[in-house]
Amino acid sequence: MLFISLILGKITLFFNRLTGSGGSAMPGLAVEKINSNFIEFLAVKNFPKGVILITGTNGKTTTSKMIAGILDKAGISYLHNRAGSNLPRGIASAMIGASSILGKIKADIGLFEVDEAAIPKLTLMLQPKIILVTNLFRDQLDRYGELDKTARLFKQAFEQSNAAICLNSDDPLVAGLSLGLSKKHISFYGVSDYPDQLLDDLHSIDVTTSPVSSSKLVYSKRYFGHVGIYETENQDFKRPKPDVELVKLKKSDINRSEFIIKINETLEKINLPLAGLYNIYNSLAATAVASKLGIRGKIIIDTLNHISPAFGRMEIIKYYDRNLYLLLIKNPTGLNQIIQTFLLKKPNTPVLIIINDNIADGRDVSWLWDSAVEAISKNKGPMLVSGIRAYDMGLRLKYAGVKNFLIEPDINLALRKIVEITPKNKPAFILPTYTAMLNIRAKIVKKSEAKEFWK
Amino acid sequence: MKIRIVHLYPDLMNIYGDIGNIIALKKRSEWRSIEVEIKNISTNDKLEFKKGDILFMGGGQDRGQLLVASDLNKKSQIIKKAIISGLPALVICGAYQLFGKYFLTDKKVKIPGINIFDFTTVASNQRMIGNIVVDSQKFGRLIGFENHSGQTVLANNSQALGKVIKGFGNNNKDKFEGMILNNVIGTYMHGSFLPKNPKVTDFLIAKAAKKIDPNFKLKKLDDSLENQANQFAASRP
Repeated sequence: MLFISLILGKITLFFNRLTGSGGSAMPGLAVEKINSNFIEFLAVKNFPKGVILITGTNGKTTTSKMIAGILDKAGISYLHNRAGSNLPRGIASAMIGASSILGKIKADIGLFEVDEAAIPKLTLMLQPKIILVTNLFRDQLDRYGELDKTARLFKQAFEQSNAAICLNSDDPLVAGLSLGLSKKHISFYGVSDYPDQLLDDLHSIDVTTSPVSSSKLVYSKRYFGHVGIYETENQDFKRPKPDVELVKLKKSDINRSEFIIKINETLEKINLPLAGLYNIYNSLAATAVASKLGIRGKIIIDTLNHISPAFGRMEIIKYYDRNLYLLLIKNPTGLNQIIQTFLLKKPNTPVLIIINDNIADGRDVSWLWDSAVEAISKNKGPMLVSGIRAYDMGLRLKYAGVKNFLIEPDINLALRKIVEITPKNKPAFILPTYTAMLNIRAKIVKKSEAKEFWK
Repeated sequence: MKIRIVHLYPDLMNIYGDIGNIIALKKRSEWRSIEVEIKNISTNDKLEFKKGDILFMGGGQDRGQLLVASDLNKKSQIIKKAIISGLPALVICGAYQLFGKYFLTDKKVKIPGINIFDFTTVASNQRMIGNIVVDSQKFGRLIGFENHSGQTVLANNSQALGKVIKGFGNNNKDKFEGMILNNVIGTYMHGSFLPKNPKVTDFLIAKAAKKIDPNFKLKKLDDSLENQANQFAASRP
């Protein structure tokens, strides 16, 4: 039966590639329909150094890419669901693609990026060695119900697992997942030196109370959303001390960040060629996971110092001699970070925002109202909105006090327009939701050398 | 002219873009040269109403709802009194439920409401999610995004906000959505609700302004973008 599943999956994969559809979940879906124990079987049989699951609202893809880079440098082989297909069937597809017809995968580690909703199931099925939770924000809540419920399901899964758990100490909902778990299984990472970022208003804060009671959170520093340095009013919970800690920020601009981290009492300098605080968090997360695997500090730092952006996340692609920045947006916190890191730093740059509401984007576009769009009302650069929900984004801009924006629902025409208004060799910022990113990236890469992402 | 928006529990009840409702009330007032003050009220804060106030309270996660329920009950007499004398108010989702008699959660915990709306809400194991289109006698076609598991059933003599054209509404059976009582509107529609439904926004602003100046007339605004967004959202699954 398993053999038949595998053959079937491989045939589906072959036809997908042949038709150029690149549908990275299809083979897994085909097999899942026939044999639901399949992933479990392949995982248990393979990966002698274990399985790593990466989850959380923001940062999964970039952090996975960083860990993959570190493993490359350390000479550890791995299998990664690199297409960003992060439901169980996407992971099954990755395994099918890599497996011999006898079910053997040549990889020491399974490195899987996992959708929050799939964590309870996959924790039981794959018996991971390490689970990383980056952060928990409002994202596609129409699929998951509510944030508290997600955290509750995570906790139940962790209690039944022997995995080492790496958690962001600065997100109280994530740090709260450690409660009741054995201390030796937990490691925290966090940022102790960074300026307060006051862009976020009250309305983008998802978590305001203690994970254990109704006591309110008080922040001595707030970086974004509910992430910062906090304790509760009645002192029943406070930010745990990070094991991997950013102790000193030296520099940050729209291209890079320089900072000092402390790992197990050793100080290391990182010169990260990616912009923004969220990428700093991603690099700390990757460091925490790599340390758990026993990889040396030097290998970690060397990798991070030369990392390139993940697919669609701060990729800079040349297109008709313009430098198009592809900046994926998925939720208010992510959008606020993009505004802070790019749109406010270069206020004269043309901007194209593309909002789709397909299932992978989240059907609910109400998050546009939770983000701090008002902050760009004084930007001078031309602004365009596009995508299935172009009118919703247009309305958001109107009520944020942004003047002179253009609405062009057709993505092809919007792309042509943004090229027209961007001078040669100058940047333009493109902010697409997930399916809009896939769409526009496919149009752009036809004209440039960026690789198709499933290759 | 100056009106005030009293925002109840903005820290605990603020999910799914409900802040867009505050932004819409503020902007559509300011575009008509009406000054707006926003007053945030949370647990243990003193609540008072004066002429020209609009009350707003948004949805929350179940946990937020538990926290505010007992505080809201302490404030209920003040709210009731103001509503009887015509306070315009908008309450969404979790807040809408708490304005009823009670909310029975999935764990069979009965969260007491403040008994302004004559209905009860019982959690179901079906999550009602998606774009919702409602036909309202008073406001025309309303559009929103609903996301709730609570099923609300209005009493026979209560007035619903409208009939559900697409989506679930108060429950998955009777095809009614929301409720109106005096100048209070309760609804499950997030989305945000007011930006794409400017007639409701203007209704609330006009009611508040008329308390201060009975002869006040709202200036007409260009709502073509609002109407386009409304129409387009109605076509989405």
